Amino acid sequence: MPEARAQFRARLQNLEEMALGAMDMVTSALDRALQALEHQDVELASLVIADDDRIDGRYLEVHQGILSLLATQAPVATDLRTVAALMHVIKHVERMGDQCVNIAKLIPLSGHHPPVDEKIIERIETMGRLARSQVSQAKQAFALRDSALAEDLARQDRQVNRLNREIFAAALELGGDPDAREWAAYMMLVARCLERIGDNAVDIGEQTAFVVTGLFREFSDASHAAPR
Amino acid sequence: MSFQPTETDMTEPPHTARPATAPPALAVASGTGKRTAQTQARSVSLRNLHAYYGDQHAVNGVWLEFPANQVTAIIGPSGCGKSTMVRCINRMHEEIPGARAAGTVLLDDLDVYGEDTDVVAVRRAVGMVFQKPNPFPTMSVFDNVAAGLRLIGTRGSELRDRVEHTLKAAGLWDEVHDRLHQPGIGLSGGQQQRLCIARTLAVEPEVILMDEPCSALDPVATLKIEELVAELSRRYTIVVVTHNMQQAARVAESTAFMLNGELVEHGPTERMFTNPEDSRTEEYVTGKFG
Repeated sequence: MPEARAQFRARLQNLEEMALGAMDMVTSALDRALQALEHQDVELASLVIADDDRIDGRYLEVHQGILSLLATQAPVATDLRTVAALMHVIKHVERMGDQCVNIAKLIPLSGHHPPVDEKIIERIETMGRLARSQVSQAKQAFALRDSALAEDLARQDRQVNRLNREIFAAALELGGDPDAREWAAYMMLVARCLERIGDNAVDIGEQTAFVVTGLFREFSDASHAAPR
Repeated sequence: MSFQPTETDMTEPPHTARPATAPPALAVASGTGKRTAQTQARSVSLRNLHAYYGDQHAVNGVWLEFPANQVTAIIGPSGCGKSTMVRCINRMHEEIPGARAAGTVLLDDLDVYGEDTDVVAVRRAVGMVFQKPNPFPTMSVFDNVAAGLRLIGTRGSELRDRVEHTLKAAGLWDEVHDRLHQPGIGLSGGQQQRLCIARTLAVEPEVILMDEPCSALDPVATLKIEELVAELSRRYTIVVVTHNMQQAARVAESTAFMLNGELVEHGPTERMFTNPEDSRTEEYVTGKFG
C-alpha cells in the first residue's frame, strides 16, 4: 500500500533538508569569518557580511514553509514535534549567521597590524574550531535523531564557555598599551560571538531531544551557576 | 488504557451478576426536571467488552472508562469497531439481527446489561446522535423535541417550557423560535443535527453518544456542533466517534484509538496528538495508514 500523505511527508522532508542545509551555510560563513580574522582580510569579511542575506533568505523560506504546512496539513505527533522544532532550528541558524556577521564587522575595526596577543589568539582559534564542530554535530544529531549526540553538545559548550572566560581574563591582564587593550576588547567581542554560536548549537540539540522524546528540557540552565 | 484489568476482573463472567446491594435497575434518569448549568453526569465503564456480528468479532476485549462530564473521542480507521463499541453502551448493537455483546458496561454502578435493567430506561439515560441528521420527517420542529417528552407524560405548559429550554440548550432556539410548527426536515443540515441533539437532550440523558455527528455538515455547522459539545459536557458525559482527528483534538479531553476491534491506546487528547505512546497510534494520527 502506498504511504498515505506522501505529499505532506515530502514537503516536511524538504523543509528539514533546507533548515539543516542552512547549518552548512553557517559553517561556511564561520570558516570564512575566522579565516578573515586570522589574516585581517577585510575583503573576505565583507563577503561574509554580504552572504548572510542567503541565510536570512533561507530562514524566511523555511519559516513560510512551516506556516504553510501548519495551515494546510495539521501535522500531529512526531510530525508536529518536527515542525515545531524546525521553527526553532531555523531561528537559531539565522542567529548563528548573524554572529558570523558580527565577527566579520569587528575585523576592520581591529586594524591592519594589531598588537596580537598569542594567548588570546590561540584561544580564539580553539573556540572557533569547537564552535564549528558544535554546528556540524548539531546538524548531524538532528538528522539522525540522536539524543546522545545532541546532549554531548552541552559538554563541548562548557569548553567553549571556559575559553571565553579565559579570553576575558587574558584581556584584563594586558598592560597599559591602549592599542593592545582595544584589540583585546574586540577579541572579547569575537569570543562572545563564538560562545553564542555554541549556545545556539546546544539549543538545536535540545530541539533534537524534544523531537525524539516528546519532552523539552534544557541541557543546562543558564539561570543557575554554570559548571566550571 | 485508563483501566487496567486485574486478574479477578479478567475472569469475571461476561455479564456480571448484580450485587444484592446494587441500586434498582431503573435508577436511571427519570426524565423529569431540568439539568442545571453544571450537573454531575454519570461515568461509563467498559470492562472486557466484546461485540459480535454473527461470527465476526467486531470489538475484542475493550476496557475503557468514560469519565463523567468529559468529552471522550474515539478514533480509528473504518471498520475498527468504534461505532459498534459505542452502540454497545446503550444496547443499540443488539438491535441488529445476529449481533450480540459480552462483557460489562456500567453506567456509574448500574450494569447496563443486567438482567433487571430496563433497556428503554438505558436508552433514555444514554442518548445517541447519528452521523446523518434524522429528524422525524413528518413532525414539526416543536414535535420533534416534544416526542420523547410526551412519551414520559409531559404535557401542557411544562411541555412547552421543556421544549424551549431544550432548544436553547442545543443552541437552536434563536434560529427556530418563530417557526416551531414548520417541518423539522425543512431546517438546514446543521440545524437538523442540532434539532436531533435537542431531541436527545429533551429526555434528560446522563450520557450522549455521538457517532460522526458532523460528517454530513459544512464547516460552519460543524463548528457550532463542536461548540455545543463543549458546552454540553458541563452537564453530560459525551462520547464522540469521529474520523476527523482535528475534531477529536478540538473537542475531547481524552481520546481513545481503536484498531481491528481492539483498544490500542487511550489518554489525554493533547498527549495522543503530540506524543502518543503506541507506534500504531503514531502511525495512524500522522496518516501513515488508515
